[in-house]
Amino acid sequence: MSIRKISLTASLFLFIFVLQEAVITQLRIAGGGFSLFLIFALLWSALSTPNLGALIGFTAGFLIDLSQSTSGAFGQWTLVMILAGFGISYLGLGYENVRLNPFTITFLVTAFVLLARVLYLLLSLLLGESVGSFTSIATSLLIGVLWSAAVVPIVMPIVARTYDFINDTRSRL
Amino acid sequence: MARGGENRGRLLLIILIITSLFLITLDLRGVAVLGGLRSGTQSALTPVQSVGATILSPVRNFFVDVIYLGRTRSEMERLRVENGDLLTQLRERRSVDAQLEQLQGALDLAGKAEYKVVSARVISQGATTSFTQTITIDAGSRNGVKPNMTVINAYGLIGVVKTVYPGSALISLASDPSFRIGVRVAGTQQIGILSGQGTRKGVLQLLDNQSTINVGDILLARGSVNNQPFVPGVPVGEVTSVDNAAGAVTQTADVRFFASFSSIGVVSVVLAAPGVDPRDSLVPAKPQPTPVPTVTVFVTPSQSPSPNSTGTE
Repeated sequence: MSIRKISLTASLFLFIFVLQEAVITQLRIAGGGFSLFLIFALLWSALSTPNLGALIGFTAGFLIDLSQSTSGAFGQWTLVMILAGFGISYLGLGYENVRLNPFTITFLVTAFVLLARVLYLLLSLLLGESVGSFTSIATSLLIGVLWSAAVVPIVMPIVARTYDFINDTRSRL
Repeated sequence: MARGGENRGRLLLIILIITSLFLITLDLRGVAVLGGLRSGTQSALTPVQSVGATILSPVRNFFVDVIYLGRTRSEMERLRVENGDLLTQLRERRSVDAQLEQLQGALDLAGKAEYKVVSARVISQGATTSFTQTITIDAGSRNGVKPNMTVINAYGLIGVVKTVYPGSALISLASDPSFRIGVRVAGTQQIGILSGQGTRKGVLQLLDNQSTINVGDILLARGSVNNQPFVPGVPVGEVTSVDNAAGAVTQTADVRFFASFSSIGVVSVVLAAPGVDPRDSLVPAKPQPTPVPTVTVFVTPSQSPSPNSTGTE
């Protein structure tokens, strides 16, 4: 991986992170909205190799942990995102059609958004943090899934083209 | 080779997981560095967030409006109804305030002359079927009102009770063309007959050809036998113009009634008057003119140009 690729990817991740923190979080979208950064990181991981996916997950999780709106222990999102990034990229490589079929990758990213949040929730419970009532958690998860399913198809072509531009590859998403 | 790459991948994954667990442990143990990292990030993001908040304010409001569209609409409907109710209350309040003011004035006037009065609200004004000028009040025989009683308001004479019913009474206004009242010029003993003309203007005819009347003179009710139909001393109107036609036996004058008959809300019926004539004590005070500030301008004449400076040779 060249310095150009690393610097461009890091800059892009920082930009999306700032966009999430400064813009998306202020829109006050119904049901808590969606995390563009989380979707972006999972999409990027899905297009990468498992090792790179884990590394991307680590970076993305670390940035999410830096966010003031994150209430859990520092490192919690890092751990979750390492596993999610690795998992989605592993599945992406395992299924050839994932790269060819936008519906599959939409489903995969949406499922991993849900999985990441559930994993974070379980970790929070293990660490003894208060997580709220079952109803509120279920509602939040459901709305998060719906928003993700709506947002992923919109951002997917942009992410794929950016990924191709930085990595000099040509995906068919 | 492939196995070596797989091992390196596993090693990387393990290192990353251990690092994250290490971070969690440090955070749970309260290491200040991590808190500092988070607060430092927030400090760096705050200006961007402020700019974002300013720019996104209309968008955010749009989203909120869209989300709460139904609620906003019902809220607007509720506020519209509430606004209508408040406006109605305000109008009613204004009407009540005006009536209260009139009532207070009438009671002040009656109190000054020591009249025993009953106050009543005007419930009907005029009649479309006749040309007489009357009002109907919500006080009648049950309240002690009888025919030929004087009716006053805050400004003076209104009229006289014409017909009485148990709960209401018909009042003939002083402006009615058939209305006649004996009046006295305040401050003098000149007397005359004032006739209604259908408007706020009345016509006065003096009875004595030796007496004179001037513009601005105040007319008071002269009073009748047993104070019916008129009690003495009630302010009636003010002379606005005097007719000095040659050959006329007595002077006549135009009089403007003090009371405005078109905006009567509350009146008082004089049930009984004191045995003593109040004389001129009810004459309304002259309005005090508002002082107009005088501006004095000092002008210093400039030096007149000399003949040489005008270009003459």
